[in-house]
Amino acid sequence: MRPVLLIAGNFVREQRWPILVLLVWVLGLAVIGLFFDVRAARDDILLIFKQLAIYGVAFSVFFGGSAIHNERKSRRILAVVSKSVGRQQYVAGLLMGVVMASGLYCFAMGMTGSWVLGNAGFPVQRLLFLILCLFTASVLAASVSVMFSTFFFNPLLATGATGVFLSAPVFAMQLLGSQWGYLLPVYSLVELFLKANYGYAQQFNWNLVLVAGVETVMFWVVASTIFALRDIAVAVE
Amino acid sequence: MSVVLEYEGITKEYRSWLSGRAVHALADFSLKVEAGEIFGFLGPNGAGKTTAIHLAMGFMRPTRGHGRMLGKPFGDGHTRRRVGFLAENVALYHRPAGHLVRFYGALSGMSGHRLRERTRDVLEAVGLLSEINRNAGKFSRGMLQRVGLAQALVNDPDLLILDEPTSALDPLARVTVRELLLEQRNAGKTVFLSSHLLSEVETVCDRVAVLHGGRLVRLGRTADLLESHGETEVVARGIDTSLFPGSTPNNGVVSFEVALSGQRAALERIWAAGGEVVSVNPKRRSLEEIFLEITAEAAQRGSNGNGNRTSLADRESSRGERR
Repeated sequence: MRPVLLIAGNFVREQRWPILVLLVWVLGLAVIGLFFDVRAARDDILLIFKQLAIYGVAFSVFFGGSAIHNERKSRRILAVVSKSVGRQQYVAGLLMGVVMASGLYCFAMGMTGSWVLGNAGFPVQRLLFLILCLFTASVLAASVSVMFSTFFFNPLLATGATGVFLSAPVFAMQLLGSQWGYLLPVYSLVELFLKANYGYAQQFNWNLVLVAGVETVMFWVVASTIFALRDIAVAVE
Repeated sequence: MSVVLEYEGITKEYRSWLSGRAVHALADFSLKVEAGEIFGFLGPNGAGKTTAIHLAMGFMRPTRGHGRMLGKPFGDGHTRRRVGFLAENVALYHRPAGHLVRFYGALSGMSGHRLRERTRDVLEAVGLLSEINRNAGKFSRGMLQRVGLAQALVNDPDLLILDEPTSALDPLARVTVRELLLEQRNAGKTVFLSSHLLSEVETVCDRVAVLHGGRLVRLGRTADLLESHGETEVVARGIDTSLFPGSTPNNGVVSFEVALSGQRAALERIWAAGGEVVSVNPKRRSLEEIFLEITAEAAQRGSNGNGNRTSLADRESSRGERR
């Protein structure tokens, strides 16, 4: 477990500037709450909050899709995997890094959201659950993009493939029924967040969160297995 | 002696999935490196040296054949705890040198006081203790290479695999590294050294292997390779150069080469002419001469046969010609 945490911590450290920019973006919402009459613009506030949620998932996909590529291209991967680090641990470390980054982002969103939305007059009892939905959606999306990045070493291809893959259940839901949303529940979880009515209590759908958790582990196993078979050395440029 | 690194009939092909064309980086490559030696791994650019090293480290898998490192198949994670590796053109994270070495030490399973002590020791050994808190991102290439060496040494490895460890170093730092390698050998460790600096290899390596076009073309003890069998160099004083055709005068002495069988007669001729023998030594060639000879022979053999195969060396040389 120690190598996984070390690699994860290192990933967050390496990505600290994009993470910081994202956090500043979330804090912007707090600034709005501080200086403007949020009750008068409650719908706008809600829209910004929902936009921030989409950014979180999108950045998880970008982080996941480019993690291996960046390490390979810079050749820093060689010094890491020359140590007592298995390929499974390496992929787990990168994924854990994205989980930590997403966790930070979701935590900031939860804190800012509960304060600003609360001030805007929205009951925020459900917010914690919705943030959990967003977090699990981000982590699942990241695990899919990490999986694609193990065989599409180009990050754009990995990100594109992830986008196509994650949108497949959306079409399946339209054509075959809503139960297909459980197949790969990133969209369903984000939809839960986006369509949430903050006005009154709704049922918590824990099944989606559970399925997302199980699928994240599954995609990590697949990613590790593929990555263990790949040549990772790169020619000196 | 036990074998610490063993390649058995390893072939590595890089195949383009678009054209289907295969490039042979290594072809039926076999080699054994024994414990406690400094082993020099030589070859021109594109010969397959780095590929062989990356296979041993488990960064890639052979197309055919197999190998063992410290008794375990290539790629075994636990074995790497006993291995130190320095890549060619080392690339490290931008953080203070001390943190960096500690990070790699922790990845090797070290922790606490031992890791902190060892970090200081290895940075001192490579002459960077004074830079322990300086960000490696601001280091020169030579300094980076030394931090790279420190991270390779931090886990006190039994086997040290170094790919061009001194290519960016100044002469002083090279001497430091050379002494460090000799220290490692004296402590019973094994060093597998890939280098283009032939004088360095000549000085420190017990055995050398020469690779060309993905094939092993020469393997032997460095001393045996350097010795020119049957040739002696005689240096004499007080004789005329006309006594031995081909002899050369230099600072009042005359030196010439003579076959071992004719050595006694040559010495008697010197004495008979009233001269004095200054020294008689077996003629030694430099590793550079031998390397050039071996690679030229290998290139000649390669151009005579095996025309349908493309090696990395071929690709490298054709790229050079295009330039």
